[in-house]
Amino acid sequence: MLDDLFFRVRSLLRRETVESEMEDELRFHSEHQIEKYLKAGMSRSEALRRVRLEFGGLEQVKEDCRDARGVSLIETLAQDLRYGGRTLRKWPGFAAAALLTLALGIGANTAIFSVVYGILLRPLPFRDVSRLVLLNETTPRVGDVSVSYPNFRDWRSQSHAFAEMAAVNAVNFNMAGSNQPENISGLAVSPNFLPMMGVQPVMGRGFTPDEEKAGAAPVVLLSYALWQSQFGADRRMIGQTIRLDSHTATIVGVLPPEFRWVEKCDVMEPIGVWATHNDSATERGERGDLLVAGRLAAGLRMEQARAEMETIAAGLARAYPEVNDQCGVKLRPLREAFSGDVRPAMLVLLGAALFVLLVACANVANLFLMRGAVRSREMAVRIAIGASRGRIVRQMLTESFLVALLGGVAGVGLAMAGIPAIARLIPPDTLAGASLGMNGAVLLFSAGLVVLSMFLSGLAPALHSMSGNVQAELKEGGKTTSAGARNRWRGLLAASEVGLALVLLVGAGLMLKSLYRLLAVDSGFRSAHVLKLEMDLRTVQYDKDPAVIAFWQQTLDRVRALPGVESAAIGTDIPLTDDHSRADITVEGMALPSPGSFPHPDIHIVSPDYEKTLGIRLLRGHTFTQANRENAPRVAMVNVTAAQRLFPGTDPVGKRFMFGHPGAGRKPQWLTIVGVIADTRMYGLANPARLEVYLPFRQSPSNGMVLLVKSGQEPTALVSAIRGIVTSIDREQPIFGIATMQEVVNASVSTRRITLILLGLFSGLALVLAGIGIYGVISYSVTQRAREIGIRIALGAQRGDVLRLVLAQGAKISAAGIVMGSAASLGLTRLMAKLLYAVSAADPATFAVVAVVLALIAMVASYIPARRTLRVDPLIALRQE
Amino acid sequence: MNDRIELPQGTLDLLILRTLALEPQHGWGISERVQQMSSDVLRIQQGSLYPALHRLERRGWIKAHWGTSDNNRRAKYYELSRSGRRQLASERDLWRKLTAAVAQVLGPA
Repeated sequence: MLDDLFFRVRSLLRRETVESEMEDELRFHSEHQIEKYLKAGMSRSEALRRVRLEFGGLEQVKEDCRDARGVSLIETLAQDLRYGGRTLRKWPGFAAAALLTLALGIGANTAIFSVVYGILLRPLPFRDVSRLVLLNETTPRVGDVSVSYPNFRDWRSQSHAFAEMAAVNAVNFNMAGSNQPENISGLAVSPNFLPMMGVQPVMGRGFTPDEEKAGAAPVVLLSYALWQSQFGADRRMIGQTIRLDSHTATIVGVLPPEFRWVEKCDVMEPIGVWATHNDSATERGERGDLLVAGRLAAGLRMEQARAEMETIAAGLARAYPEVNDQCGVKLRPLREAFSGDVRPAMLVLLGAALFVLLVACANVANLFLMRGAVRSREMAVRIAIGASRGRIVRQMLTESFLVALLGGVAGVGLAMAGIPAIARLIPPDTLAGASLGMNGAVLLFSAGLVVLSMFLSGLAPALHSMSGNVQAELKEGGKTTSAGARNRWRGLLAASEVGLALVLLVGAGLMLKSLYRLLAVDSGFRSAHVLKLEMDLRTVQYDKDPAVIAFWQQTLDRVRALPGVESAAIGTDIPLTDDHSRADITVEGMALPSPGSFPHPDIHIVSPDYEKTLGIRLLRGHTFTQANRENAPRVAMVNVTAAQRLFPGTDPVGKRFMFGHPGAGRKPQWLTIVGVIADTRMYGLANPARLEVYLPFRQSPSNGMVLLVKSGQEPTALVSAIRGIVTSIDREQPIFGIATMQEVVNASVSTRRITLILLGLFSGLALVLAGIGIYGVISYSVTQRAREIGIRIALGAQRGDVLRLVLAQGAKISAAGIVMGSAASLGLTRLMAKLLYAVSAADPATFAVVAVVLALIAMVASYIPARRTLRVDPLIALRQE
Repeated sequence: MNDRIELPQGTLDLLILRTLALEPQHGWGISERVQQMSSDVLRIQQGSLYPALHRLERRGWIKAHWGTSDNNRRAKYYELSRSGRRQLASERDLWRKLTAAVAQVLGPA
């Protein structure tokens, strides 16, 4: 078997030698034979004739020898490829059109797939990822919330469904770097976290079990990226110290470069070190930024683990009703946590790209059919002189393979150019450390697309070429008989292009309407000319409230004095972001509910001018002033939703509430409501407002704040001046998260925006291709029917009638396409319902507009070639007979 | 000349192998030898001889090398390989059995 293969390959590789040897051998034979006949007394010419007769066709003998040597299979493929290449060169216009069409189709798919692969499919850098689960707590008043550390410890000791569990707490630090101070993100983890995930530090050690206890000596692991950028990839850094906030921590190792987490991670510390500085480590009611990762025990399914965890959570709710009442637990595969939000958009886009490829293939198939008509005689001749039909099909497929392959190569090139542009559209949060680009998996996908395109664009024409009637084709200088069947094919292909384009256009239309409605939502604030800058006062000098108040007051006073600043304020949270702090409150005189059902508003700590800077309307009472100082009576503002829910039918101004639940022997600390301001969309434009309570910052000082600056002109011009002010107050205080509020708004709708941009691009592409498809069909049919049209005109038909006749053909195609497409859209748009906002997936207006647009495009695409009928000269047309 | 017989399927290979069992030979020589040995009854068509030679070479039953012919011309000589010799023996047996059986069925003329 193997010998046989070697023999074939050798014959193939040494083709020149083998061929010339064959030549020599056969010549040797005929010369001997001639000599023999001469000796027998024949004349030379007679001998030559005899030998030639005996030999049969010399070429035939050679071909049979080649067959016998087993080279023919590979050889014919090479021949087909060479022949295909020659044909393509002979039809450069056709080749360019087909190639460009497929390049666009394959390029779009490759680009989208590379993003889908990077975000959804690329294996996470952990051991046995399918058994890893991410857990968080839930409460009906909010939905998903973080996990309290004491609850986690009970989960871990009571659960049997998990082989291991680890706490992963998002933290951040101020790092006094060599030049500019920086705020970096980190994770405080249980020491078993890295072994559980199957992650090994590339250098140094992981954490030890002792480092789980509060009071552990401060140690950190650096992320590979931070080790490179801040420490020059110096191996001697292990054992050195680094200053985080005011503390000194020893660097014990470096994380592998491929490590990533749902949240950004520059440094990692053991949870014991975090517990040393954070009271929330022992407060069961505190739910900060802690999530729990777990590895399912061998043989257990997620469902079993979920059932067990629900029982444990219910037990904890009974044991600690004050803080755990109504609290549940949510489990989801870790994989999902890395890609949850964008998954629907990604899949919709991948589907849309596939549709573009289908349209492209239909178009190329149409081109092949059109050319097939011109080549039908060539094919008939080849069949007549002995080519088998199978061979013809194979050769046609080889041609479509060549086109698909070249289109694929060009498409991958296009995708490589397009991926960075798409990657820039995706916010870093969504990427969660994923890198996008070309790789083996993506190339394999593109190769699959090439094969798919080859069959989709080549099979119909190839099969069609078999059905022709050779004799008829050869007769009469080739009046083709199979033209009718071919035209049916072509009409069908063009109609399906229209249908596919309609589906894409409807998708894009629904997305456009959603985004338009979303951006038209009253967000409750004005983003124009507002800059946001974040600061977190983390060093030891800010442990005391007066220092915190002094820093913020001084910063505010000096920023307000900057030229160009209209107003400035600080607030703990800004609209359209995710992290908000919340607390239970008790309204004076209300009936006391169960512990888990107390009003649970968002708490915003703000300075005077907060609502003025963000353009939030004051509806009742007044806003905070400089008078709301530390020792003054405690005051608060509420939003409209809170006013309506907590004080239905009455004016909340002057009413009082307190934080927490009324407890025996505790003197209530009442806060008086002084104003009501409009709702803002704190949780994204699509999400309704929650209850909100605002507190003056001097009465509830907060270390982490967002500085908001409204300016008369472009607000980013103020950044360096503001930096200067902060540096002069505290040289080591970093500023981060600098953006305009407009950017914040844009980022909040980014997934929908990317989806719209790409969907719009794809549907535009499909629309153009479908237009070209119809144009091609009509234009070809006009050429073909020139004779018929000539006769009609000669017999007295009005040119208008003839024009209508041709236009009717185009209208039939587009009508069929629109009907098919609408039916398909009704089924398919439901799949994108998650991405829509305030628009039904079957929105009649969108469907109607898209159908009209397509009908118009189809009309134009058929009118241009149809106009040619007006120029048909009956005499010339008839003379072609 | 008219008593020449078309070769039955499969016999050509056997004849070639048998001829080469005597001595290495080139293509023309093989066809001459078969003609001689069959008293002019069997004549091999050149159109089938060469494909057959290439096929046998590919199967490894014969080996080819270039040599010099009687009249000092370069010619491609074929010779039997070891596996070719085995093949000849078994095919010869088969053929004998076949012809004997066919003869028996046909009965005396």
